[in-house]
Amino acid sequence: MKIVFKINGKQVSMEVKPSLLLIDLIRDVLKLKGTKPGCLEGECGACSVIVDGEAINSCMYLAINVNGKEVSTIEGLTGTENPLHKVQDKMLEHGAVQCGFCTSGIVMTTKAYSDKCLEEGITPTREEVKKSLEGNLCRCTGYAKIIDAAEAVYKK
Amino acid sequence: MDFDVINTTTKDELLTAIEDHQDTNFRIGAGYTDLIMNLRFQPTEGMTLINIAQMKDPSFISIEEQQDHIVLGTLVTASNIVNSPLIKLEFPVLHEAALSVASTQIRNSATVGGNICNASPSADMAGALVALKAVCCVLNSKGEERIEPLASFIVGVGKTSLDKNEVLKSISIPRNSGDQLKSGFEKVGTRNSMEISIVSLAYHFQLDESGKVVDAGVSCGAVAPTIPFAESACDFMVGKDLDGLSETDKEEFAENVLKYATPISDIRASEWYRKEVLFNISQAIFD
Ligand SMILES: Cc1cc2nc3c(=O)[nH]c(=O)nc-3n(C[C@H](O)[C@H](O)[C@H](O)COP(=O)(O)OP(=O)(O)OC[C@H]3O[C@@H](n4cnc5c(N)ncnc54)[C@H](O)[C@@H]3O)c2cc1C
Ligand code: FES
Ligand code: FES
Repeated sequence: MKIVFKINGKQVSMEVKPSLLLIDLIRDVLKLKGTKPGCLEGECGACSVIVDGEAINSCMYLAINVNGKEVSTIEGLTGTENPLHKVQDKMLEHGAVQCGFCTSGIVMTTKAYSDKCLEEGITPTREEVKKSLEGNLCRCTGYAKIIDAAEAVYKK
Repeated sequence: MDFDVINTTTKDELLTAIEDHQDTNFRIGAGYTDLIMNLRFQPTEGMTLINIAQMKDPSFISIEEQQDHIVLGTLVTASNIVNSPLIKLEFPVLHEAALSVASTQIRNSATVGGNICNASPSADMAGALVALKAVCCVLNSKGEERIEPLASFIVGVGKTSLDKNEVLKSISIPRNSGDQLKSGFEKVGTRNSMEISIVSLAYHFQLDESGKVVDAGVSCGAVAPTIPFAESACDFMVGKDLDGLSETDKEEFAENVLKYATPISDIRASEWYRKEVLFNISQAIFD
């Protein structure tokens, strides 16, 4: 099936197998390995990417359904001029990364949420920041540092 | 996973796809948060998937405000519901139920129609909609529509009253007639996030100016093969003054809710525990 979509700002058009999952399109076809396969059942969020501004689990999304849409992965957040996105900076600053397997998912989820908060002019509470991360599991850090880092994204 | 996909973007394309596949094995795919797991563990050879995720027809995708009803297209997502000021104001029970579904990522994909058609007794949005006396609008491949109350549309675990040539198009919720509301969704699980209910209770009481209940809707989730509407508990509440409820009234209400529970013991909780919890949360909503 033919699909046309944007990946990290670049327009692409390609033929894909109709039953292909978005995570497999991203990792195996487009060779963008920053998006991680964890549980493959919607629990862990390691596979989170942004589609038309919203974070979704790419392990539960058919590739054909990005047709006409804009997909961002961790690789698309930065360029040579800004090597790290603000969310990534804060994760580093707060020591919120250990093995790193969950990190790209957490960064993408937080990026989507912070864009939404910015657009609506809201500064979320710590509880709201926690709620925004309920779909992301981390086996290493114990979460406190991840939540600190995410909270810092909203501070001026 | 290996299957064919027919992509439908208009109502006519959808009806034709359903009509053309009456003799074959097909599934309908909306947000895929339930379906992908099904497809991964079942043989999919020879199966056709009718994809409705790219549907453009407004009656399938929008939240429409009518004079007597609010109509949710089947493809309205849990996030769409959470973000709707109208639903938050008029149907807090549905707002809370949608917000309790899984995570942001799942809510962004999970559709209200998928939640209903998956027919799980622990489906949260479906639970709220049963309490709201919602009605399903079902479309067949000839383009004919029929209306059925949600409470009878879900007939058992994983089973709805849909025929093979039918799809769910939309769900309508009657608007409030009372002046004030007591409306909410209680969900009990073993942790705070990403939890499938062990027991849930959806309630929507409409009150007149003086605080008397003029209309009541209550349903309980994860305690029976369907999501029962607790009719006798509702009847018991109509005419009561919510501020003046006695402890005996609260107990009698909870006993009435419990009549609808025929839970099973499974890995998440025992039958005994489910009944205790349902009784306790039913009483506690008035505290
Ligand atoms: C990790 C995880 C956590 C979850 N947590 C919760 C939770 O807390 N609460 C909860 O309620 N649910 C939960 N779910 C279940 C799921 O997300 C919801 O039931 C969701 O609303 C299903 O919608 P969907 O659009 O993804 O459906 P799909 O997966 O696309 O479809 C589900 C079923 O409905 C059928 N269907 C869909 N639309 C139609 C239609 N218009 N006409 C006819 N048939 C149709 C499909 O054929 C399929 O059988 C969870 C799922 C996961 C993976
Ligand atoms: S890999 Fe997708 S949620 Fe875990
Ligand atoms: S840093 Fe290892 S899983 Fe989160």
